[in-house]
Amino acid sequence: MTAEPILIVKDLTIDLLTAHTAVRPVDSISYQLRRGETLAIVGESGSGKTVTCFAPLGLMPVGVKADVSGSVLFEGTELVGANEETLRSLRGKSIGFIFQDPMSALNPARRIGHQIAEVAELHLGITPRAAEARALDLIKMVGMSDPNARLKQYPHELSGGLRQRVMIAISIAAEPKLLVADEPTTALDVTVQAQILRLLKEIQARMDMAMVLITHDMGVVAGAADRVLVMYAGRQAEVGPTEKVLVAPRHPYTMGLIDAIPRRDDAIGSRFRGLSGLPPILGAPIKGCAFTPRCRHSVEGCGAQRPPLRTTADPAVMAACPVLNA
Amino acid sequence: MQSIKAFAKAVAALPRAAVFTIGAFILLGLFAPYITPYDPNAQNLLMAGEGPSLAHWLGADHLGRDTLSRLIAAARTSLVGVCLVLLCAHSIGIVIGTIAGYRRGWTDEVLMRVVDVGQAIPSLIVSLAVIGIFGVSYWNMILALALAWWPSSARISRAVAVNVMNKPHMEALRVLGASPLRIYFVHLFPATLGAVLVYATADAGAVALAIATLSFLGLGIQPPTPEWGQMLVDALPYLEADPRQVILPGLTLTLAVVGFNILGEAVALNRVPKPLGARLVAARRRITASWATETRS
Amino acid sequence: MLVFIAKRARNAVLLLFLASVLCFTLVVSAPGNVAILIAELRTPTATKEDIAKVEEELGLNKPLLERYGFWLQGALKGNLGISYKTGEDVGAALRSRLSVTATLVAGGAVVAFVLSLLVGFIGALWAHRMPDYIMRGIALLGASTPSFFVGALLVYAFSVNWHLLPTFGFSGPASWVLPWLTLGFLPAAVLSRVVRVGFEDAMAKPYVLTARSKGLSQTRILFRDALPNIAPTYLNALGTQIGTMVVGAVVVEPLFAWQGLGDLFLAGVRFRDFMVVQACLLVFITFFVILNVVVDIGITLTDPRLRRQRS
Ligand SMILES: Nc1ncnc2c1ncn2[C@@H]1O[C@H](COP(=O)(O)OP(=O)(O)OP(=O)(O)O)[C@@H](O)[C@H]1O
Ligand SMILES: [Mg+2]
Repeated sequence: MTAEPILIVKDLTIDLLTAHTAVRPVDSISYQLRRGETLAIVGESGSGKTVTCFAPLGLMPVGVKADVSGSVLFEGTELVGANEETLRSLRGKSIGFIFQDPMSALNPARRIGHQIAEVAELHLGITPRAAEARALDLIKMVGMSDPNARLKQYPHELSGGLRQRVMIAISIAAEPKLLVADEPTTALDVTVQAQILRLLKEIQARMDMAMVLITHDMGVVAGAADRVLVMYAGRQAEVGPTEKVLVAPRHPYTMGLIDAIPRRDDAIGSRFRGLSGLPPILGAPIKGCAFTPRCRHSVEGCGAQRPPLRTTADPAVMAACPVLNA
Repeated sequence: MQSIKAFAKAVAALPRAAVFTIGAFILLGLFAPYITPYDPNAQNLLMAGEGPSLAHWLGADHLGRDTLSRLIAAARTSLVGVCLVLLCAHSIGIVIGTIAGYRRGWTDEVLMRVVDVGQAIPSLIVSLAVIGIFGVSYWNMILALALAWWPSSARISRAVAVNVMNKPHMEALRVLGASPLRIYFVHLFPATLGAVLVYATADAGAVALAIATLSFLGLGIQPPTPEWGQMLVDALPYLEADPRQVILPGLTLTLAVVGFNILGEAVALNRVPKPLGARLVAARRRITASWATETRS
Repeated sequence: MLVFIAKRARNAVLLLFLASVLCFTLVVSAPGNVAILIAELRTPTATKEDIAKVEEELGLNKPLLERYGFWLQGALKGNLGISYKTGEDVGAALRSRLSVTATLVAGGAVVAFVLSLLVGFIGALWAHRMPDYIMRGIALLGASTPSFFVGALLVYAFSVNWHLLPTFGFSGPASWVLPWLTLGFLPAAVLSRVVRVGFEDAMAKPYVLTARSKGLSQTRILFRDALPNIAPTYLNALGTQIGTMVVGAVVVEPLFAWQGLGDLFLAGVRFRDFMVVQACLLVFITFFVILNVVVDIGITLTDPRLRRQRS
């Protein structure tokens, strides 16, 4: 884990332009990722987690134009400003993607065998027949029963958990160096969640992949991530090794997130300890700290100037809060 | 009120080209008797087959009738026909559709099966069968087309009605004891009418085509009343000598229908997201560029 | 699958039965005494005995239900009665004209199929760029131009002006080209819009984002991922358009002086020849019902969700 980082993101800012609005869901995000390492990105819904990871690779839905600035270096290749050809040659081959909603991410009109095999065929340069054999291996690897029959099935014949397994098989078919998993367990029921997470970690270890794991579940963070990046309203609140950030959060927002996790010693029926208030509506960038209105520790100056991301008392952890890190 | 507002809002959002073409068609149709330079039916055999001139901008047909005047008068024939057909078809369609959408259950089931069959049969064959039974006349043509067109109107009306009935305030009204008649006539009917009007306008092109086709076949508008399809078939024997008399009514009809079809396309394509155009991107970039200097607190 | 086809076939037979009742009612309720009409057609000075003979012959004095059975039996054997206007055997007339209309509709369908895919694919491949706008313009014009105008323009251009193709008649492939184009043009335009809108719709779906995340090219996604999803919709629309083209023969056949079913039907409608109208309606409706079954089976085969559910 001391090797060169394979992914270096610096001051990543993304503006989304749509027919109706312009928003900045990602504002000056910086992080690094090494081989075999897992970075969890956490934050409330709408905080910009998905856009951070997908927009720099040109994966935005139709009708949204993403203006990306800053720098994203993947194995020395600059992705910001790269043409579609460059990005396409990385997608699937070097970077695999798992989408948030397994129910709609698979093509309903095609057999899952084909959907997996085409990735291997395209990126590993193997024959269709070899690709099919590889698809079979992958289906076995993601732990689906009766793999031969599965190859010929269509997505609508599978449950959500199985579809997510297919999605995982697709994303790792070409043995990418980086896997971006967008809330891989959120849409699934609790028993399946643990299985999928274990599967991901297993595959990651076997292939020595780096992984960006998007989630809003602190339990997932604790169980699977080496480092964690906390996002609030498109901005980075805190980043650092999981064990340090979860045990001793520095940013009031991180504290709030951790405090919101139900504990075993909570009395039944005790008050829900979530964060009060709602995240700001995205639009023009906010002048001061975006969290100020909901912050228990906010002082006069918080709304005046945007707090920079600074190293805290612990040199491995960085946080953007001048009050608690002073 | 509700329906007028819905209609006005829908018109405002339509493509310029469609509004312009349809507007021109409607204006020509409404004011035809006042703007035709000549009597569209006045024959002048000395003028027969004459080319365009200052006096007769588009020339004259084989009977020496002024072509421009006939084209304009035909717009009125077409407009009146289309309106009558749509009025009849949608009267039947809205009543059936709203009843199906209001009652649901087996009433809905039965009515919609009938609509299914009606929609599966091409409209021209229904019209031809009706005319075949009742004979050729203006009102039989209107009846024939209305019978061919009501099913699609019923289908749309039902969809809208179901939508309206599913709104929370309808449930509230029922709980509060509003009578079924009141719900139907005050709330359901006007809302459906407004939404259906837009579809009706988009459908008008197909009706105009159907009227012209029946007239072309000699089963619709009868001579000497000017009508585009009938003018075309009238001039067809002289295609070699005077193609203008064939092409002009054809083009005019096509142009009118293009207007309605642009409209139909706009209605159908509204829900699909499409890539932003260069102009829109530039406009949005102006917003994001302004963020560099000003921020909100 | 077989069960599904059997079920569809049963429904189709039911529909055909209803259609036959409708067609039968049409003629029975037609104004005028049929026996007198036919008797007078044979001998202008028909006597009471002549009329009675005709009644006996055609079973017109029997109760309605029996007459229906009698008529249906005949119809199934291809005996569709005698025209009250011309005295012609309607069944024989239909048979002699069937091949003309079949040639017309088959050619028109091929024109519509090929042109619509061509225009639709070009539009989808160059989506929101010049070629797309041009194709959409053509499609818009095509969908707005009545077939009789298309026919007139084609005749003027190819026959009158350039003397390339015959103006009318049914005499070999050269004479078929213009009628085919005339019949297929408007359906081609309508179908190309189905293709174009279908692609637009499909390319905005989440599974396309997945396909892009695999590193596939846009063209490959278009044909491998989007195309299978629009196939059922397209087939359905194609079925509707073929149905429309059968009736469109009514316009195109007279235009090119072809003696097909459309021409016969038009004459029947014009002169209110009920036997002819009835027979043509029966043939057309039978065709629609069969067409619908075929389209339904096609849709079931192309849509995996339906295929499994119905097999
Ligand atoms: N397709 C889109 N169209 C318009 N705006 C979008 C789109 N996708 C994202 N956004 C904007 O970007 C913001 C961040 O979205 P993003 O999907 O990254 O959030 P997220 O953190 O992944 O949330 P979630 O946990 O719900 O997935 C949203 O609040 C929204 O304003
Ligand atoms: Mg997300």
